[in-house]
Amino acid sequence: MAAAAAPAAEKSTKDRLLSVLDDLEVLSRELIEMLALSRNQKLPQPGEDTQILELLVQRDREFQDLMEVAQQQGKVHQEMQLLEKEVEKRDSDIQQLQKQLKEAEHILATAVYQAKEKLKSIDKARKGSISSEEIIKYAHRISASNAVCAPLNWVPGDPRRPYPTDLEMRSGMLGHMANLPTNGVNGHLPGDALAAGRLPDVLTPHYPWQSSDVPVGMLPPHHGNDFGLEPPGHNKENEDDVEAMSTDSSSSSSDSD
Amino acid sequence: MAGPQTKLEKEGEDCSLLPLVHDIIKCMDKDNQDVHQELAKLKAKIQEAREQISNMPGTDSSPLEQQQQLATLREQVRTKNQLLQKYRSLCMFDVPKAS
Repeated sequence: MAAAAAPAAEKSTKDRLLSVLDDLEVLSRELIEMLALSRNQKLPQPGEDTQILELLVQRDREFQDLMEVAQQQGKVHQEMQLLEKEVEKRDSDIQQLQKQLKEAEHILATAVYQAKEKLKSIDKARKGSISSEEIIKYAHRISASNAVCAPLNWVPGDPRRPYPTDLEMRSGMLGHMANLPTNGVNGHLPGDALAAGRLPDVLTPHYPWQSSDVPVGMLPPHHGNDFGLEPPGHNKENEDDVEAMSTDSSSSSSDSD
Repeated sequence: MAGPQTKLEKEGEDCSLLPLVHDIIKCMDKDNQDVHQELAKLKAKIQEAREQISNMPGTDSSPLEQQQQLATLREQVRTKNQLLQKYRSLCMFDVPKAS
């Protein structure tokens, strides 16, 4: 009855069913009212009840057909719900796979970075390589003064120490260069007196690290041999101990004969 | 097959309003007092049909639209299955054999 502007195919099945049901209700009411009136008086339009009855039968048939369509759609809807669940599961699987791929990417990126850093270190080490003999020689020199290991024959009471003692400092380059009385000024060493600003110029000790543009009068006579490159505390006595130290089991040096 | 078709026909006949209208007309012809009762039955049947239609699943779209939605869902499932199959079976690294 209700003429839809849009084609019937675009309307949902539910809307069509409700529309037909409304038509059935109206038609059945009209038919019953018409029959009730016709019992008391003659119908103004004869045959009208037949028309209404035909329309009613037609609408009823249409209603039944639409109900069958609705039932079929219900079954399709169930299948669609199953498919939607499957889609959700696939989405979940894809998200899980994506998460694993991102994790793998992170691990691989970290591994590649660390490998590159190691290659850089290897390259740097190759460029700055040092002969093993040089390293062993240097190890011998720094261990000759007993700075890393006590002599094998050291006993309590032995005055030797792994550092320059007072006596060794005075008998070394600094002590000879100063040529000062042993008690110094106020009991301090020459270096301390210079720092206090109380030493005369001629007695100022010369340090190799001082600048060359210092006035000549400030510098004492040059003591070339005193500027040896021997490590502090290096003397004949310690050289004998090198043999002993080289045979020390804890030493990594090569055998010395 | 007669079984499902008979069942569908029976269900179709169950939702028909003509039997009730026929009963009303019969009562009116016989001047039966049950006419009011039959009218109430018809009214209740119409209301029940409205509620049943409102609750029917899958009727919010036309059959054509529903078929299109069904085809879309099937395509989605197929595509996602293919994607998962592709990436699960993908091996990007050739592990060299130990010499």
